[in-house]
Amino acid sequence: MKSAKFSSFWSRAILYLLMSIGGLFVLFPFFWMVLVALKPDSEVFALNLKLIHPLWKNFLDILHDPSYPFGRFFINSLLVATVGAGLTTLICAFGGYAFAKKNFYGKEALFWALMATMMIPGMMFLVPQFALVTRFHWINTYQGMIVPHLANVFGLFLMRQYMETIPDSLLEAARIDGASELQIFWRIIMPLSITIVTMLFLLSFLFHWSNFLWQLVVNTPESDKLTLPIGLALFKGQYTAEYAKMMAAACFSIIPIAVIFLFAQKFFIEGLTAGAVKE
Amino acid sequence: MKWRLSKKLSESITAYLFLLPFLVVFVVFLGYPIIYSLYLSFRSVSATTDLYNIFSDMRFVGFKNYLTLLKDFHFWWSLVTTFYYAILYIPLLIIVSLILAVILSNQLKGHSFFRSVYFLPNVLDMFVVGTIWTFLYAPQGGVIPQLLELLGIRYFSQQGILGNPRTAMLGVVIALVLKNAGFGMILFLSAIQNIPTCLYEAADIDGANAWQKFRFLTLPLVRPIILFMVITGMIGALNSFTEIYAMTAGKPSVVLWGKSVDVTQVSGYYLFRQWERMNYGYAAAMSYLLLIITLIISWLNARWLRKKGV
Repeated sequence: MKSAKFSSFWSRAILYLLMSIGGLFVLFPFFWMVLVALKPDSEVFALNLKLIHPLWKNFLDILHDPSYPFGRFFINSLLVATVGAGLTTLICAFGGYAFAKKNFYGKEALFWALMATMMIPGMMFLVPQFALVTRFHWINTYQGMIVPHLANVFGLFLMRQYMETIPDSLLEAARIDGASELQIFWRIIMPLSITIVTMLFLLSFLFHWSNFLWQLVVNTPESDKLTLPIGLALFKGQYTAEYAKMMAAACFSIIPIAVIFLFAQKFFIEGLTAGAVKE
Repeated sequence: MKWRLSKKLSESITAYLFLLPFLVVFVVFLGYPIIYSLYLSFRSVSATTDLYNIFSDMRFVGFKNYLTLLKDFHFWWSLVTTFYYAILYIPLLIIVSLILAVILSNQLKGHSFFRSVYFLPNVLDMFVVGTIWTFLYAPQGGVIPQLLELLGIRYFSQQGILGNPRTAMLGVVIALVLKNAGFGMILFLSAIQNIPTCLYEAADIDGANAWQKFRFLTLPLVRPIILFMVITGMIGALNSFTEIYAMTAGKPSVVLWGKSVDVTQVSGYYLFRQWERMNYGYAAAMSYLLLIITLIISWLNARWLRKKGV
């Protein structure tokens, strides 16, 4: 009895140690990012804790940098991600409702045709989408960054799955009371689907926030619509050695997302793994 | 009968009206490009054009792009590096995810905190995370070469990790594994938690040790997850771009059979380079070839899965 207790104590201690080492490895880059963002340029490579004074100097510098205005980049990123996520969620909810609750011509064929495109690697669309955006004169515009990536097939799938669980009797009752289709959608479907709607909004926000390749392709370096990662890429290309400022810029991308994750992690974890766990 | 048909018709009209916004965006930016890309792959940018007419002015060149592609040493090399990426990335990712999941499956106090910690990097921007890692790996002062120096390893002091052709790809892959392992961990965790505890109790009665329980109980039961991660890992390798752009830009180069090749130039990055050089027709042809390769991989996987009865 005693020895069993002893071994369970030690095995627990070892497990905690392993978990902490894992956490250390995973979080170290971000810890180092914050530390270096608070250091003067001369100290970025030193393994010490000498910090810059005032502490937030690097942040102020890059916010007001005339050639690389990271404040502006941040607002652009926020705008692209928010509008992109809002519109994606809306059109997926509309479409998901049709697939979940309507019986229409070509329904299953259309659904599987849409799903099949998920197999196509995203890189494949680089050239033709760029060609379309060029022809539409959408280079260096917000719509160029947002619109081509709105049709999220996985989002449509999530919506359909979820909305199918809403009982038909609710919709029938509303119809008998004379509600229009749009009223049914906004007053019944959307409030009951708020979990999945929030989930898809957050996932789409992440997607547009990190949609690096596409934002790189749609913007020329002179664009005033540059987003955070593209701004950082250009900054990195020009000032290869300004690591303290680079890490300060990185904080602008990492910290807001980390904070959102902290508050809504259940949505992120369930949403991101939803496609995989269903078999 | 007539009434029922007309009911379906009116329902169809409503349904398509709800689907309209999605379908418009889908058809214009995802459906049409599949065909448009094929069309572009038989064309080439003409010398006299301007930025906005560049695509309408492309001239027909027949199969020239495809023939050039088949003879392009750098294209085939990029497939080799993509394979190399996958061979390093997939096993490492599976092992790390599985270890994390097994540790967390003990449900110790605080396990949900660690679960969040491991998952967090998944939601962060790949380019920014990659940039942080280039700094951690940097030669002559990066924190990782410095820490290795403290341990007596001076191998990385001059070139760093990403500047050394032997370790560059591994460096990229380690950064990626630490970023993505939390995702695989969640998949493994949910699979492990679905295993009935009575199986483990039965194993205990039979006197199985921890390793035997893992080897003969846990591992076979999480196999579907492993297969899923192999497939998504392969597609991910063919789609990889941002991590390479952020960390190595395809470099460093080595000389191989008298040709200079970039050791981390994966196919996605090579495609981007062609786009950058405005070889749009050529890039479109390459996209098509990569698409065919992806579909073959998916098809083989599907067949293999069916055979194995998973």
